[in-house]
Amino acid sequence: MVAVDVINFKDSDTTIHRKKQETDTYVLGTIHPFRKTHKSILGKFIQEFNLVSSDRRSWKILLFGVLNVICTACLLTWCNSTNSMALTAYTYLTIFDLFSLITCLISSWVSMKKPSQVFSFGFDRFEVLSVFASTVLVQLGALFILKESVERFMEQPEVHTGRLLVGTFVALFFNLLTLLSVKNKPFVYVSEAASTSWLQEHVADLSRSLCGIIPALSSFLLPRMNPFVLINLAGAFALGITYMLIEINNYNAVDTASAMAIALMTFGTMYPMSVYSGKVLLQTTPSHVIGQLDKLLREVSTLDGVLEVRNEHFWTIGFGALAGSVHVRIRRDANEQMVLAHVTNRLHTLVSTLTVQIFKDDWSRPLLVSSVLPAGTHSLSDYIGPSGFLGPSPPPEFSFNTPGRNIQPVVLSSTQQHRPYSLGLAYGSSPYAGMLGQGVGLGMGARMPSVQGYRTSFSAAPQRYGSNPLPSQMNQYRP
Amino acid sequence: MDDKYSSNVISGGKLGRVEVPNARLTRYIVLLLLTKLLKALGIFESYDLLKVVHVVQFLFILKLGCAVILLFFQKPFSSGKMVAKRQWIRILKHAVISSVISLLGFFGLTLCGPLRTLLLFEHSDLVVISLLSVLFTNSGGGPSKTRGAAFFIIAVVCLLLFDNDDLMAKMAEHPEGHHDSALTHALYTGISFLGVADHKGGVVLLVLALCLKVAFHTHSRKLSVEIGGAKRLYALSNLVSSVVLLPWVIVLSSTTESKVESWSSLALPFALIVFSVMVLDFYVESICTAKLEALRCARYGSACLFLSGLLLANFWTHPLTDQLRAMSKSGQQASTEHVLSGGVLVSACFFVMADSILSSPSEKGQKGTLVGYSPEGMPLYNLMGDALQHSSQSLPRFIKDSLKQILEEYDSRQIFYFLCLNLAFTFVELFYGVWTNSLGLISDGFHMLFDCSALVLGLFAALMTRWKWLDGFLILSGFINGLFLMVIAFFVFVESVSRLIDPPNINTVMLAPVSVGGLLVNLVGICAFSHAHSHGASKGSCSSHEHGHSHHGHSHSHGHGHSHSPGGRSMNANMRGVFLHVLADTMGSVGVIISTVLISQFGWLIADPICSLFIATLIFLSVIPLLKDACEVLLLRTPPEQEKDLNFALEKVQKIEGVLSYRDPHFWRHSASVIAGTIHLQIMSDVVEQRVIQQVTAVLKDAGVNNLTVQVEKEAYFQHMSGLSTGFHEVLAMTQQMESMKYYKDGTCIM
Repeated sequence: MVAVDVINFKDSDTTIHRKKQETDTYVLGTIHPFRKTHKSILGKFIQEFNLVSSDRRSWKILLFGVLNVICTACLLTWCNSTNSMALTAYTYLTIFDLFSLITCLISSWVSMKKPSQVFSFGFDRFEVLSVFASTVLVQLGALFILKESVERFMEQPEVHTGRLLVGTFVALFFNLLTLLSVKNKPFVYVSEAASTSWLQEHVADLSRSLCGIIPALSSFLLPRMNPFVLINLAGAFALGITYMLIEINNYNAVDTASAMAIALMTFGTMYPMSVYSGKVLLQTTPSHVIGQLDKLLREVSTLDGVLEVRNEHFWTIGFGALAGSVHVRIRRDANEQMVLAHVTNRLHTLVSTLTVQIFKDDWSRPLLVSSVLPAGTHSLSDYIGPSGFLGPSPPPEFSFNTPGRNIQPVVLSSTQQHRPYSLGLAYGSSPYAGMLGQGVGLGMGARMPSVQGYRTSFSAAPQRYGSNPLPSQMNQYRP
Repeated sequence: MDDKYSSNVISGGKLGRVEVPNARLTRYIVLLLLTKLLKALGIFESYDLLKVVHVVQFLFILKLGCAVILLFFQKPFSSGKMVAKRQWIRILKHAVISSVISLLGFFGLTLCGPLRTLLLFEHSDLVVISLLSVLFTNSGGGPSKTRGAAFFIIAVVCLLLFDNDDLMAKMAEHPEGHHDSALTHALYTGISFLGVADHKGGVVLLVLALCLKVAFHTHSRKLSVEIGGAKRLYALSNLVSSVVLLPWVIVLSSTTESKVESWSSLALPFALIVFSVMVLDFYVESICTAKLEALRCARYGSACLFLSGLLLANFWTHPLTDQLRAMSKSGQQASTEHVLSGGVLVSACFFVMADSILSSPSEKGQKGTLVGYSPEGMPLYNLMGDALQHSSQSLPRFIKDSLKQILEEYDSRQIFYFLCLNLAFTFVELFYGVWTNSLGLISDGFHMLFDCSALVLGLFAALMTRWKWLDGFLILSGFINGLFLMVIAFFVFVESVSRLIDPPNINTVMLAPVSVGGLLVNLVGICAFSHAHSHGASKGSCSSHEHGHSHHGHSHSHGHGHSHSPGGRSMNANMRGVFLHVLADTMGSVGVIISTVLISQFGWLIADPICSLFIATLIFLSVIPLLKDACEVLLLRTPPEQEKDLNFALEKVQKIEGVLSYRDPHFWRHSASVIAGTIHLQIMSDVVEQRVIQQVTAVLKDAGVNNLTVQVEKEAYFQHMSGLSTGFHEVLAMTQQMESMKYYKDGTCIM
């Protein structure tokens, strides 16, 4: 059912085909004839599959996948025999688990692949796309359930409760087992990074008021709940109520109502995640780095010689790594390579795949002053930068082809102008210590010693500018 | 003692409502509870009375009695300022509307019984207003209010669906003699026209009356201030409405024969009802609202009312209460009592919870946006922004604006017109289905509605592009539409396989005209959309579609098949999705027509599943190219149709004078019209960078890249980098290290 069918990719189609094959076991093989015509692709798929299965960690995922297919088939037959819509809606959550296992496989495959010529950014996006596809597919399934339920309200068929409770518990047990025992990196990341679903919000609200009564529960209830566990439990709860009401009072309509409730909960849980991964796919700047990026870009625009920062476009490639491109307009007499090095140095802490284009107006016209200043003769004030010129407004989330967005806000100018000189220097040198450590976080632990070593080698210099508490980066260029 | 004075107002939480200690309020609460109990009793009594007395007469007596008592207490004529003529007219309007609402309420009482009326009708205005604000505005007040609203709705739905009161069903047959007057008859016919049972009609009626009541109360607040107090207005309004009702009552009592044997025996119950329902409740409520808070008053009042209603419903038929009841003597009437059922119990619980949640004060304050920090380090919030934003965009204006935007663009206009056509067809089908009571038609109508959601998505995407300059969303929406079609194909497939095993008997009478109609509608759509495509840069959709399902064997070499239309293919990923949807629907209609013919002519029941199997496969195959293209864009693949040109261009770049080498060439399609690219160049130190940039940009523009970023590096750059940091190669090494680290400490890299 997932079947993202990207047949023509040179060496990437294979994951997708794996996806297809896994799902085909219950899709009844719609595409068998189709695949027979592409022996080579099948061969490639087997090759890639062997690559993945050579890792021991993926065996567990495969095992769970097989179990999941069996369980889903079992549940689907029970859905048929009980004629219960609610159980069908719950079974779709099991199918979603299958998708998430496939996503997990893809992510382990992605970690093994190097960027190719065609996929120059690497294969991280496959992970995102598969998360997006699985959440959207589950939502479409929920939409289908809603439609069926509306039709059922017209004429409620009888629901047999024989296998209903058994099916519920089997599905619940299996879902929880899969969720808790398989470490599903992409989905864990998305569920933590995406905004909370309404189900989570309500549970948090309830548990907050519950903790007001019983404070002992706060360590268990107050942290953010895992949305998948939550929806599984809530769905099982709804099914339990359905079973009870049908058994006691023969209210068959409860089944339809709880199917709708489960479908709505599925929507609520999956929607924030598909929005998050969809935003990654749309190449938007993730909101949590906008502030940091803004600060860096403002710093960049205060560098000596920089007039304007424009066409900036930053986005995440996969879940995490930021890529970006930016155009920097500089003064005609500024040294391009120097500015480039400084801009790259600033932004590199945050943006790993960076391209900076330096742009000069009227570059063909000969300069009035001497063309390039020797590196050593830069005065201190060169590094303070033009204080009147400001950084761009926060990069908008969608930032291609949006000229005019960078018109600077007037309000901020006062703060910039009042900035004392020594502060400007502190700004300049900060990338060495603060920015790096802050920007890269734990992953950068290894490189800190070398930075230290470098700094100590120049430690004699800073005292030359007595008023300046931090070593000016200028010192490091002195021959 | 000390901290009482030391802490400032905000951090101590002293700012806000001043809570009155509970002990002083206990007597008011007890008074309120007693009044509510009496009111519940009065409503049960009035249900019994309404079995013999006509609604209008009943209401007239209530209003008159109430007016007399209030005139005595309130003295509206002798005290206060004179009532102007203009105000009399407004009081008249007030009286008419209030008597209409009470008529609806008491009519609902006759239909639903006292308990259900209590549950549905006796909600405080505050509860209903906060319910409506949750439902229709964004600023509901947190998840707890949303939960309360959900409980309320669940409770009403419970009453509607799960309250299978068989005694109601008996009443629903309503023998013709039951209707006493034209009014009740009109209401009955209105309800039966809706196609619901009487008691469900009563539920709907009561909910409507509740909303009316709240709107009326809110509206009449201004009038009550003008008149000089709510009590004076109440007294005057009751008087006027009894005057208004008088002629009607006279006509009624002269034309119809009364069922009442002796009015004198009814005097006591009437007095009780007038006292408990009309007068005491009004006074106590106004006192408690003044002394307690309004929210608390509402909470206690409604909870008590519901509980006492449940209690009374349990004991009403009990011999103990017989002496309380006015009409205990008629034995046969006891059988038509509205009994307690599970549904009512559940919904009563839900109502109690909903009321207590909705009438609890919202803990959260206003939602402000963080503006910055004060010099002391305290956060500063802006509370105005949201409120202003909410008021600036009203709903009709929003609809009007988006409609205008839709109609401006060609693509979205096409989708919109087709959506309207489709919806019209769907509703005709649905109405006809309800009319003829044909389940097949209704379910087909819902299926069409389900299909329309794809069109809505396409329309939304077309609109989004204009709102947020979101070109990429078109591709994403094309992808979602493709997935949607996949799901549909999958379900059709599964359905047809299960039918293949066990072919059901199909009634073909209704199917043929509907499917012909659907075919016509979809043909119009196909014409419109294929026209749209010929208007666009290419006929991407048509050709790709044929490509998809006629000779799919060649699809691996399709890069050539489409090379004549660069840019056009992905340009309309959205439109392609919509087009494929329409195409799938058309194929469905054709399949249904063929199978209908086969079944009716030859009796081949198996034709239907085979047809749908075929259709599912066709849909599936036609979606593949769309999905593949959308995936390529979303995965940031180098555009396949530009691949050759790009390789050629890169070779050319390397031959530019002064260029040593290049690295990290990335080219991808950012949106329909933008192919973005980034490249790093290493050049000799004596070359002017800007010239190289110009040349490279020109070369790559020829290859189709229209948004390029070139980073030109000289040797000096690497020297600077090594000066600025620990060396460029070490930076590179560290970046790689970072990437490998990313897999162990996920998320920490960026944050």
